[in-house]
Amino acid sequence: MKFSSMRYLAGEGVKNAWVNRLMTIASVGVLVACMVIIGLAILISENVNKAVGNLEQQNVVMAYMKDYNWALYGGDSDTDSSSSGTDSSVSDASQDTASDPEEAEAGTSAESSEGSEGTASTTDDTDKADENGIKPSDYVIHNDEEAKALCDEIAKIDNVAAVEYITSEEGLESVKESMIEGQESYFTFLDDEYGNPMSGAAKITMTDMSKFDETIDKIMELDGVDTIQSQSDLADKIAAIKRGVGIAGFWIIAILMVISLVIVSNTIRVTMYNRKLEISIMKAVGATDSFVRIPFVVEGMLIGLVSALIAEGLLYFCYRVATETIIATLGTTDIVYYSDVAWWLLLVFIGIGIFAGVLGSVIMISKYLRREGSEFAAI
Amino acid sequence: MEEMRLQSGGTAAAAPIIEFRGVSKTYPTGTHALEDVNIRITGGEFVFIVGSSGAGKSTFMKLIMREEKANTGIIKVNGFNLTTMPRKQVPLLRRTMGIVFQDFRLIPTMNVFQNVAFAMHVVGASDRDVRREVSKALSKVGLGNKARSMPAQLSGGEQQRVGLARALVNSPDLIIADEPTGNVDPNMSYEIVSLLTEINKRGTTVLMVTHDHNLVRDFQHRVIMLERGKIVADNAGGSFQ
Repeated sequence: MKFSSMRYLAGEGVKNAWVNRLMTIASVGVLVACMVIIGLAILISENVNKAVGNLEQQNVVMAYMKDYNWALYGGDSDTDSSSSGTDSSVSDASQDTASDPEEAEAGTSAESSEGSEGTASTTDDTDKADENGIKPSDYVIHNDEEAKALCDEIAKIDNVAAVEYITSEEGLESVKESMIEGQESYFTFLDDEYGNPMSGAAKITMTDMSKFDETIDKIMELDGVDTIQSQSDLADKIAAIKRGVGIAGFWIIAILMVISLVIVSNTIRVTMYNRKLEISIMKAVGATDSFVRIPFVVEGMLIGLVSALIAEGLLYFCYRVATETIIATLGTTDIVYYSDVAWWLLLVFIGIGIFAGVLGSVIMISKYLRREGSEFAAI
Repeated sequence: MEEMRLQSGGTAAAAPIIEFRGVSKTYPTGTHALEDVNIRITGGEFVFIVGSSGAGKSTFMKLIMREEKANTGIIKVNGFNLTTMPRKQVPLLRRTMGIVFQDFRLIPTMNVFQNVAFAMHVVGASDRDVRREVSKALSKVGLGNKARSMPAQLSGGEQQRVGLARALVNSPDLIIADEPTGNVDPNMSYEIVSLLTEINKRGTTVLMVTHDHNLVRDFQHRVIMLERGKIVADNAGGSFQ
């Protein structure tokens, strides 16, 4: 199509919108309302996701390891078989220090790695019980290096956002701190009499709590992990909230999109019937369907674009007032700021506007043009 | 029906601009609008189509414009075979013809110039061509000084002349006029047909539907009479009875 034709048709579209200005204003009004509601749904969803994200960050999972302390407090009967793969990493150093469980657990990496090669063939000699009756083969994680290696393995699992190694000492301190006054003495007693009751642990944060169970299963499959301590109820609730917000947001947007489409279609239909005479003449003198269609599409796009800009401004104003009120009353600043989402919300609005405008007009005019036979008959 | 063909403008050997061969049209309602119609109109002819209401005149025109499709038979117009032509080629066919309506069909919100220019914009003409050709077309119909007038400010005859200028502006090979004198006074009717005759003399084929026997009698052109969907007479020289 020639530039002069395009310019003429674009001008006709703008003229249509102006000639039918009452209908255009009504359409823009309804479209703006739809877009503002869509924008609010998006902003609410973003805020909920942010709050849930914060909860997720706090909702850490502790994977306790099968280390010396674990063996000290019972362990399990399967350890021999499950720990066979780690026999090679049992070092002379850990054997030497096995008499001191704490040292054995915290054996240095240099010694461990040096010893692992030389002692591979003398496993039986090194697997001697200490004064607590615990042999290196009774537990899986023999030192910090192995513990960190396990943490690295956990970090490779899909959906694991972060892993932090918590030594048994740090674990014990943490437990004592969480106790009410007096209760921590029991742990002090255990520590003094029998050794640290806390195993080393991996502190795990997940990306998506809805994949909680499958992630836990994968972690449990790793050799060296004993038990998982988590707040699975909270994880379920977080996942349910996210799902709920997602589903509600989807339906709100989908329904309002359909409403927007119907509104624009209706305006275009009114314009079209107002211009029935013009269309009949256009077709009679040899206008193609696309030539007839373009002014209506331009009009639809214009309605969509104007609506998008008004909706953006209105939503900015409303949201700013709302957030200022929330900050003033609740004192929280942990909210999504409009400036963070302004551009993509504008793009969403323009997208919705153009989509509704173009599709609405194309549907209507195509429906009209399919019915041939109005050129010659009286209008 | 045996085809009888006498011409006012073209010759017997000239190529047909409109050709109907065994054309029948029945609407989905069961109305038989045309039955076994055979017509051959050559380039440069001026043809009156006459007949009472329901005779099939409008269907005949709609078939030429490919607004309707024939149920049987072959229709050829301006080199297009309307029987096999795909729908997307219909605009190309219509660009080869100019149409004059009984009710003028002027857009009330556009002035005279814009109403005529509209037909040129549709075919993608440049602004310069539009200005030049519209002025020429308005001068031809004697409305060069009314370019800025709105349709409501014009008489019926003037409005029909604007319609005629719009039909002419793209220099078509064929003008189809559907009772162009139906809404104008007798004097203006003669003026309109005189204008069409003048256009015809310059080589444009004119096909005009009319009820006005006086016009048919006074202007010596070929006459095709339709009754109940059939051609009952096809005369020349204004000897229609």
